[in-house]
Amino acid sequence: MYKLDLDKLISTIKQQKAKQVLIQLPDGMKQKANLVVDAVEEQTSAKAFIWLGSCYGSCDLPLGMDILNIDLVVQWGHNKFNKEMW
Amino acid sequence: MPRLLLLDAKWDGELKLTKTLKDHLKKTKIKSIDLFASTQFAEIENLLKEFKKLKIKVNIQKAKRTNKPLQILGCDCYPDSFEKTLKSDMILYLGDGMFHPKALILAVDRPITIFDPISDKIKVVDRKDLQRELNKKKANLKIYLNSDKIGILVTIKPGQQYFLAAKKLKQQLEKEDKNAYIFIDDTLNPSHYENYPFIQCWVNTACPRIGTDDIVNINQPMINLRDALDPSRAFVELEK
Repeated sequence: MYKLDLDKLISTIKQQKAKQVLIQLPDGMKQKANLVVDAVEEQTSAKAFIWLGSCYGSCDLPLGMDILNIDLVVQWGHNKFNKEMW
Repeated sequence: MPRLLLLDAKWDGELKLTKTLKDHLKKTKIKSIDLFASTQFAEIENLLKEFKKLKIKVNIQKAKRTNKPLQILGCDCYPDSFEKTLKSDMILYLGDGMFHPKALILAVDRPITIFDPISDKIKVVDRKDLQRELNKKKANLKIYLNSDKIGILVTIKPGQQYFLAAKKLKQQLEKEDKNAYIFIDDTLNPSHYENYPFIQCWVNTACPRIGTDDIVNINQPMINLRDALDPSRAFVELEK
């Protein structure tokens, strides 16, 4: 129902020479996480991992990924936003 | 720091003026539309052509926190979230679910027409559909004003992190002879609040929808940072 845009994902991984990729999907797309991992690991030399938790927006990015040497975080369903300043 | 790739996850269907939508527009006899969509349904070229044929003027604007015109985010939920006042005959949202249209309802006290392109269904919603949330929000504001011990919640998620604003609020509250305590976490989990029973009211500085949608599911009173900084404005906005 919603496009996974795997071509763009695969080309970005190859272009950036990413080795470890974290996949973050909104609730409505989480059931496709295995398809994304399979595509990444079949079509690139990168390893892919799935973020278990929330994905409410681009304001909701996983933290601490550098500890695990994740070099690319991919989030679906959202785009850039302007953070309000207080 | 890892690099970031954001993928829109566009809907794989074709957005068009279905009979359902066309009949609804004809029935309501509207001449203008303020149009919004979630990013999945933002390819509207064909739809715009159809609106033109029906002589309906379409007004599209960029909400404050979005990066593109047309798009609406859940956090664009305040009257000042839009550059221009929404004064078309109809506010039309294209998309599925209630999260984004709820932002529009919270921002403007007008009916919002939702067209779900997947189910080809139309629904009209307004503030009556959010009465529980709005009543709780008003009650929590009153509790906040009467509280002496206030807990300010800060997330470390960069997109929602307002540590400086939390410190500013703490100072403001201390000037009013209140005790304020700042709590830091990554994901704000309501089950943790009950470990601090001395807190009379919580202030959420993260996603503003926590202080609207989630307050009906927790026992502890909570308000949003914006409302804590200016409670008088918050009361006015609730009446708008």
